[in-house]
This record gives sequence, structure tokens and C-alpha cells, in this order.
Amino acid sequence: MPTIERISEVVFRETINRAVQDVVKTMLNQNAVFHSESEAAHTSSSPIEIEGQQVVGTVGFIGDINGLIYLYLGSEFAALSASHLLGMTREELDEAGDEVVNDAIGELTNMTVGAFKNQLCDRGFACKLTIPSILRGSNFSIEPISSAIRRIYRFDIGNHRLVADLLMKIED
Amino acid sequence: MRYKILTVDDSKTVRIIVKKAFKTYDCEIIEASNGVEGLATAAKEAPDVILLDVTMPVMDGVEMLTKLKSDPALKAIPVIMLTAEGGRDNVLKIAKIGVRDYMVKPFREEVLVEKVGRIIDLKPLSEGPVKAKSILDAASILIVEDKPAIVQQIQDGLKHTPWKIHGVNTTGEAIDFCSRGQPDLVVISLTLPEEAAFTLFRLIRTNVKTKYTPIFGLVVKTEMQAQQQAQQVGFTSIITKPIDIAELESKISKAMNLDTSQRYFSIDKDIFLMRLPEVTNQLVVNEVLGYLKPKMSEAVDGGLCRAVIDLHEVKRLDMVVIKLLFQAMQHCRELALQFALVGNAQLVSECKGFEDTKGWQFFDSVEEAKASLSRSTPVAAGV
Repeated sequence: MPTIERISEVVFRETINRAVQDVVKTMLNQNAVFHSESEAAHTSSSPIEIEGQQVVGTVGFIGDINGLIYLYLGSEFAALSASHLLGMTREELDEAGDEVVNDAIGELTNMTVGAFKNQLCDRGFACKLTIPSILRGSNFSIEPISSAIRRIYRFDIGNHRLVADLLMKIED
Repeated sequence: MRYKILTVDDSKTVRIIVKKAFKTYDCEIIEASNGVEGLATAAKEAPDVILLDVTMPVMDGVEMLTKLKSDPALKAIPVIMLTAEGGRDNVLKIAKIGVRDYMVKPFREEVLVEKVGRIIDLKPLSEGPVKAKSILDAASILIVEDKPAIVQQIQDGLKHTPWKIHGVNTTGEAIDFCSRGQPDLVVISLTLPEEAAFTLFRLIRTNVKTKYTPIFGLVVKTEMQAQQQAQQVGFTSIITKPIDIAELESKISKAMNLDTSQRYFSIDKDIFLMRLPEVTNQLVVNEVLGYLKPKMSEAVDGGLCRAVIDLHEVKRLDMVVIKLLFQAMQHCRELALQFALVGNAQLVSECKGFEDTKGWQFFDSVEEAKASLSRSTPVAAGV
């Protein structure tokens, strides 16, 4: 069975880059431009770099390779994305409530993580997706356990920032 | 029959996107949020297609698919997987259970519609009793012709219409055009190299968005074989070269089911106006007759009691036109609509030559006719 160590940083970056760009282009009709990357060990105290209220989608992948990806969006960008995805006006979306935005961001995360892990599957790392979950809040940080590798990828979409936080379990 | 599409996905977002994708088609979207609900709904509703996600709580898509395919009553329902679970091995494993198609998210709505359209005969939704499209409305007409002079001739000939005429040289450009927008009508030269016209015809007919778009064949009059072949495969109409622009315009209007009544009927303040064009041939007369009674009744119903029949542009009076005018006058009398005729010197002179029309009186202009109607009280002001 192939091991995680066989996957280079370049491959991770290219794989997540392709996944984010594909989902953003197809579902939101926008271009995601890769901005920067950092490893948790080398990041500042606030590596996500999104101010204020955030909506965070999480989907895991389990199998020959195990991990999860958090997708961070500012609440305004999350609402805009949900509005586009669902074909709803902002008024309709406000009326529908946060649950609808949560579900939309959960699905965007599901698609992104799916596009990411499907590329790994084709490289011989068979794995399956988990069901999405959503976090909402501000000024919070997620700290991985010591046995996980963490990489943070930032993207610019128009005037908005999207951050993909990848956590992978190291093989025993 | 209204087709039913069952979408089984735990994401409400995906179910909304599916509904959005099919909202302009005559089909019903039924929803289920997991495999258990999906199986129950499939048994109850007997959908024509199932769109199935893989990762779901309670029962996932693979288990639902397996159970569906082992149920004699449900196994024939075509399933399209719509899931973020891709990867060659995954897809192959699921495909072996028995699916019609496999779509990996993210997905484009039009691709989903196209794939479903390959399974069921999706028809665009006619949104109830909407106002018919009229000749005053914009329309997009695609001409696929490798001879620029012909495209130019059509563009020049139809420039008085609000239609936008797009000319392309090749089938490739035509396919590209159809994928970017939806033409209201396509005219294809039947003499494009290597029977390309027939290949393009098939491609347009297999696309869900354009399968009901009228398609005309364009060919010289003597190419009988090409005309027969086009009629056999189902071209909506054939236009022969040299092109008779009036005939082309009439056929386009008919194929697009346009309301052409504005050409002949209008209301000017409190007067109902009927106007015949310079060339009032059998085609025009048939068109006018189709609208005559309803338009006049509509005018009277709306409170009008005076009409002007304007013939000043008509070049020649023949029996076809005379019969039409007799019918128009008869309707006016039946509806107690006062009317007056407007003609020209040629027409007045021709009328004198017929026993039935020699008593007709014409005014020189619509304004004069209107003035006479406001002075007179009898039903026929000029006759």
C-alpha cells in the first residue's frame, strides 16, 4: 500500500489547487487564484487570515489515506456563494436563514474535498468521503493533534479570500 | 405524460440545484434525503429517472442502488449517479451494480439536463397561457451557409424585422453557437460538404435545448434529391434558391408560431385599423382571415365602434382580395362596426370594373376616412 510520505508537497498543492479552481469555476462561475501556502509550524498565530465572522465547512476522507479539509469563507462571501449556487436573491437567502447557507457551504466543501481525494484515489490512495459538517464563528483557531500534517492554502476569488486547511494523519 | 425525476441527496443545496436545472422543462422533481427515503419514494412514485448521491446518512447511495437493482419492481428505473465520490475504481465498482450514467460533482446544470434528456424525452415547459410571441419580438436566427452572399441576402431581406440573423460557415461554428445560446430557428444549407447538413440536423435534434427548434433546409430548386432527403429526416421546411424573402419570412413566422396580426391590425385611438400590404397574395389573405373575426370581436369587446380598412398600398385587386374584403365588411356589419375604405387611384379604377365592387367608395387617406366616420352614423360610411 502506498504511504503518505510518497506524496510530495508539490502534489498536494497542485491537487488542492485544481480541486478549488474546478469547483469555484463550475459552481460559482468565478476564478480562484492561488495566493499562498504555509505549514502550520511556520504560520503566524492567525494563519487563516479571514477577519470577522466565518463559515467553515469540513469534510473528511478515510481509507488508505486519512485526513480532512476545512474550507474557510468569510460570512459575506459564504452568503454570496450560497446565493449564486441556489439561484436565490440575497433577500430570499436572508429569509431562508443561516441553515441554507450552511448547507450550501457544506456542499461546496464536499465537492472540493471530493475533487481533491478523487485525484489521490487515482494515484492509488483509495479513500471515501465523510458527511460534511459546518462551523460558524469568529476568532477561533483549530489546532491539529501532533500526529497530523497540516498545510494551509489561500485563494483569492474576486475580492474575497477562501482558505483550505488540510490536515492529514501520518501513518503509524 | 409528465416525467418524474427523483433526486436522492442529503444536501438540500443539490436538490435545489437539480430543481433549478429542470425548472424550464415539463417534468416533476421529487426529493429524498437518503437511501431509505429514496427506495420508499421510488416504490410509491415510480420515477422515470433517479439521480443518486453516494455519501448519505441512514442509507448510502451504493446500498440503495444495490437494493433497487435487486427489486423486480424497481430495477428497470434508470439511475444516474450524481456524487462527489469519483476516482476510477469507485466509479467502476458502482457502475457494475448497474447505472445508466455517472456524474462527478462539481457539475454543470446543462450537462445534467443533457444526460437526463438522453433517457427521457424532456420537453421545454410551455408556461401556460402566456402571450404568444409576436413579429415585433426579437428572435435569433442562425444561418449555416458557406456562401456569404446568401447569408447577406437573407440579412438584407429581413432587416426590417426585429430578428437577428447570424451567419456561420461550418457545422463546427453552428454547434459552438448553439452551445452558447439557443437560436429560435436554424437554416442549414443542404449542400454543405460531406452531407454536413444532415449530421448537424441530427446533432441539433439530439440536444435537449434545441430538439424542438425549427430547422429549415436551404437548397436550389432543382436539387430534388436533397429536398426529399431533408423532408424524410424531418426538416421543418425547405427554402429554395433563389430565395423568395417574403416566403421565407412567412415560413419563419409560421414555424416559430409568431402572432403576425400586428402586420394587418392595429388600434389608433378609438379606431380599429385593418391594413393590407402592397402584395396581398393568397398567403397573406389566409393569414389575415385567420385573425379577422377574433380581432374585430376583440375591438368591439374593447368598446370600439368604428373601423378603417386601409388598402392604399394594395397594387392589384383580384378575386382573392375582393372575397377577403367582402368577409371583412360582412363581419363589420354583424358587429355593428362602422367602417370606411381607403384606396388608391388604381384600386378605385379596378373596382369600377366589377359588378360587385363598382359601388365601393374610397377615401384618399386614413385621416379622411376617420373624419367621415365621426360625421356619419350608418354602419358603412364609404360603401
